Amino acid sequence: MDISLERQIASASRSVEEARRMSYNDPSRTGDLVEHISVLADLRQKEGDFRKAEGLYREALFRVQDLRKPDHELLAGIYSLLAYLYDRWGKMDLAAQFYEKALKLSEQHGFQDADKAATIKNNLAMIFKSLRKQEKAEQYYQEALDSFRALYGEENAKVASVYNNLGVLYYANLDVDRAQSMHEKALAIRQNLNGSDIDAADLSQTYINLGAVYKAQGDFQRAEECVDRAKKLRASANGYAPVARRSASLLLDRSA
Amino acid sequence: MREIVSIHVGQCGNQIADRYWRLILREHGLNENGMPKDGSSVSANSNMEVFFHKVRDGKFVPRAVLVDLEPGVINRIETGEMSKLFDEGSIVRKIPGAANNWARGYNVEGERVIDQIMNVIDAAVEKTKSLQGFLLTHSIGGGSGSGLGSLILERLRSAYPKKKIFTFSVAPSPLISDSAVEPYNAVLTLQRIRDNADAAVILDNEALFRIAKSKLHRAPNYMDLNNIVALIMSSVTASLRFPGKLNTDLGEFVTNLVPFPGNHFLTASFAPMRAIASEGQVRSNFPDLARETFAQDNFTAAIDWANGVYLSACALFRGDVKAKEVEENMASIRKSLNFASYVPTGIKIGVAETAPEGFASSGLALVNHTGIAAVFERLVAQFDIMFDNHAYTHWYEGAGVPREKMAEARDTVADLAKSYRDAS
Repeated sequence: MDISLERQIASASRSVEEARRMSYNDPSRTGDLVEHISVLADLRQKEGDFRKAEGLYREALFRVQDLRKPDHELLAGIYSLLAYLYDRWGKMDLAAQFYEKALKLSEQHGFQDADKAATIKNNLAMIFKSLRKQEKAEQYYQEALDSFRALYGEENAKVASVYNNLGVLYYANLDVDRAQSMHEKALAIRQNLNGSDIDAADLSQTYINLGAVYKAQGDFQRAEECVDRAKKLRASANGYAPVARRSASLLLDRSA
Repeated sequence: MREIVSIHVGQCGNQIADRYWRLILREHGLNENGMPKDGSSVSANSNMEVFFHKVRDGKFVPRAVLVDLEPGVINRIETGEMSKLFDEGSIVRKIPGAANNWARGYNVEGERVIDQIMNVIDAAVEKTKSLQGFLLTHSIGGGSGSGLGSLILERLRSAYPKKKIFTFSVAPSPLISDSAVEPYNAVLTLQRIRDNADAAVILDNEALFRIAKSKLHRAPNYMDLNNIVALIMSSVTASLRFPGKLNTDLGEFVTNLVPFPGNHFLTASFAPMRAIASEGQVRSNFPDLARETFAQDNFTAAIDWANGVYLSACALFRGDVKAKEVEENMASIRKSLNFASYVPTGIKIGVAETAPEGFASSGLALVNHTGIAAVFERLVAQFDIMFDNHAYTHWYEGAGVPREKMAEARDTVADLAKSYRDAS
């Protein structure tokens, strides 16, 4: 295992233990404890120990629920962290369940952070897609898209990501025309982003996806053009060349 | 190394912890704060790492996790003499209480606290180099120790499939009863112990009362009972902690004591059972010690000695005993015990140099006897009377344990009793 990760985990678990001691005598320190716990859980997740990460998040969850003064924002945060964990763990049902809890809470209490809510919607849509609930997936993508557009306007990397995801969803449903229009929108945005926002990997992904769409329509010439551009982009991006396994799964959408 | 993490659950489990850690501290020459006593040579002569981990200022902190759903007993430990001993990060207490209901300890309250408990246990395990296993103390008749204890057992087994789990389980007595629903709680817990523990030492308060009363010559109190339990627990692990000629560890005990999977319910005996006089040590000659160790009325559970056979037995002698004496006396004791026809009449023997404080020498017997079926049969019979009349079951159904699950546990325990009877 990665030695620096090991060291980080050791120091994080010491902090958690210390925080447990503090909050044992003084319940008002629970907020600190929850923070330390989520740091450790994140490291555990990196290490690949999902069981321990789950236990830690759940400890945090129940501690926050037991607080005298309910902290809804913190609670919603833990819900979405748990959901993200289950998402990575492949437990899609649970992931969807906790994302929805987080969303419901944020709607009830009207949090300021609309960006977070929109991100959750996007992630939820991805989960429903993998659960093959196409309608729900589409609905959540649309909602996420509307929120991001309202927040940042049309020309934004996050908006482009959702277009891309929608395109992939339509493509999977054999709705090639709509997929094409989504990917073209994504391309238009991604090409014109400011210097620092341009992500060569995202852009080349869009070319690959567009290529797949053109190919499905029988337009092999344009398909090849797209794939060539994608290849060039990847080659120029720090000598990064896609590995074989990755190429085989190129149609997977990248998480927002 | 070979560290052991102790987990104490519920009121009974923590009361045992209170006596047990006092005893262990004295055995290792530590004071109530976990600091070595001045001039004590004991700590140099023993393996402290098994039960303690040393922190920077030279203090020894028990590898213990204390869990309860009501704060009473733990509060008393925290405000008592050992207030500075335990790591506050490894104490888990919640207010609501399990209300004597297994299902509340297992589902309702347990659900909310089990992750915290497992995180604390994980943290304790991370401080070990080569963990040997866990000791769990609880009662199986109450709510927290039985329900939450069951949940901890299940999670412990799935998180640490290869570590030994030893439980010290206080079972309801035949005559004295604390609550009406004890048989339900006990049967539901026994099912989990059967499935998840490597060995369970069954203790019952009535037997402990009887022993304490006949040997101490005064009216015993709960402290005396828990003291007996503490002596037994300390002896089981003695040869890991103190040098000796014949070493035994938890794994060896399990291999020798469990002839069939699932038949890992043991009973124990400690000798010499004497009130520790203030003026000095209890001395006894070895033949008497050996005989008392294996005396039937000295065992801690209501075993049906008449209708059963020994499946296996272990003995551990501590203190001032000679190997030759052990050999000679155990040979005759071996002959006097009624072993199952298919079991070679071997008694696994261990010897450790240091006796518990106050004793010159001591003996511990752990036996697997088919007469333990009587304990299970009695609980199943009490279970059936209530269950067939639907008495009290609504409390369990209301907390997520439907009647089918209860019937399933009942059948498991009835089968367990039958498998013991069949083994005779």
